[in-house]
Amino acid sequence: MKVRGALIALFVLFGCASFAPAQSLNSKARVETFAKLPDWSGMWEPDIFVGQADGQQFSEEALRKMKARAEAMRPSFTPEYQAKYEQIRKSIEAAIAADPVHPPATHQPLCGSPPFPATFTPGMFEWRVTPEETTFISTVGAVRHIYTDGRSHPPKELLWPTLMGDSIGHWEGDTLVVDTIATKRRIYMGELTGFFMPMSDQLHFIERIRMVNHDAIQIDYTVEDPVALTKPIHTVMTQTRVTDFDRMLEEADCDENERDPVVNGRFTTVTH
Amino acid sequence: MFDQTKQITLVGTVKDFQWTNPHCWIQVLVPDPKDPQAAPVEWGVEMGAPVELMRKGWKPGSLNPGDKVLIVVNPLRDGQPGGLVVSVTGPDGKIIGHPAAPGSRAP
Repeated sequence: MKVRGALIALFVLFGCASFAPAQSLNSKARVETFAKLPDWSGMWEPDIFVGQADGQQFSEEALRKMKARAEAMRPSFTPEYQAKYEQIRKSIEAAIAADPVHPPATHQPLCGSPPFPATFTPGMFEWRVTPEETTFISTVGAVRHIYTDGRSHPPKELLWPTLMGDSIGHWEGDTLVVDTIATKRRIYMGELTGFFMPMSDQLHFIERIRMVNHDAIQIDYTVEDPVALTKPIHTVMTQTRVTDFDRMLEEADCDENERDPVVNGRFTTVTH
Repeated sequence: MFDQTKQITLVGTVKDFQWTNPHCWIQVLVPDPKDPQAAPVEWGVEMGAPVELMRKGWKPGSLNPGDKVLIVVNPLRDGQPGGLVVSVTGPDGKIIGHPAAPGSRAP
């Protein structure tokens, strides 16, 4: 009798636990929401960077495309920001003239997490789509959290300029519409200037991101800043599916063997 | 830092192949062909990140100390013995990885 009682107790303890819905499982509502989201799994890279050589050289065609894209994005500054831009440009030109061999470290660092939007840099990317958030992860260290749970941006008094800013998004069919504020007050277009261009605290980005076919994600990218720009900057970029590699491995471990350090504000190279 | 309008060919022996982030480096000992008795000069040759090199056929063991190599580089502007890799020919006489095509350029 005692044995039978113990067996019943065990059944109650474990059997019921096996059949009862666990709290950790996805709710039916979440599963249904998930099922309506597009599948962006896999790894991606900017189409113009495909085929980089061992020394990170871009092909002639890629260089031409990068230059054309940058020219189409050339900012039209307001007089106040044109003056700021010219001041920076002149100081950098003077620094280059003083030592053309070691360029001044006035632009994007050679190693380290790239700033927002981080989709313009070489490397491989993942888009992790969930009902609450889409996360963008890059092999060069950038991670962006795009919240799609209906929240708003935090109030102004809780925002300050950060590398990735604050991104919220919503789905319009299969298009993720992303709104980003509170980034660093600057933009970088290496093909145009090679240095950060000043922007105001009104800097605001809108991205419309959509998988246009199985092997391509397209990002429609708009930069607004009514204080610094006379008109928005706009471009469309494409990421293609990576088919020659199957793992995300980090590239931006700058402490391991960084041999292009910044010394006295200038880029240098340590040969051995 | 690198003069991408110039190319130098280094014929030497691998001292160290650094399969590291953010970039891989080949340390290569290059004798002076005009003075074979002189101590070879150590050059540092910069490449891309390991993950990117793997995609182009490189492996951590693609080069080993003592390997005879022929490396084409864009030299450093400041005259130090260093350069950006253009192409690497391994001990078997075959090019390793993905060499830079004419007209290509690093940012």
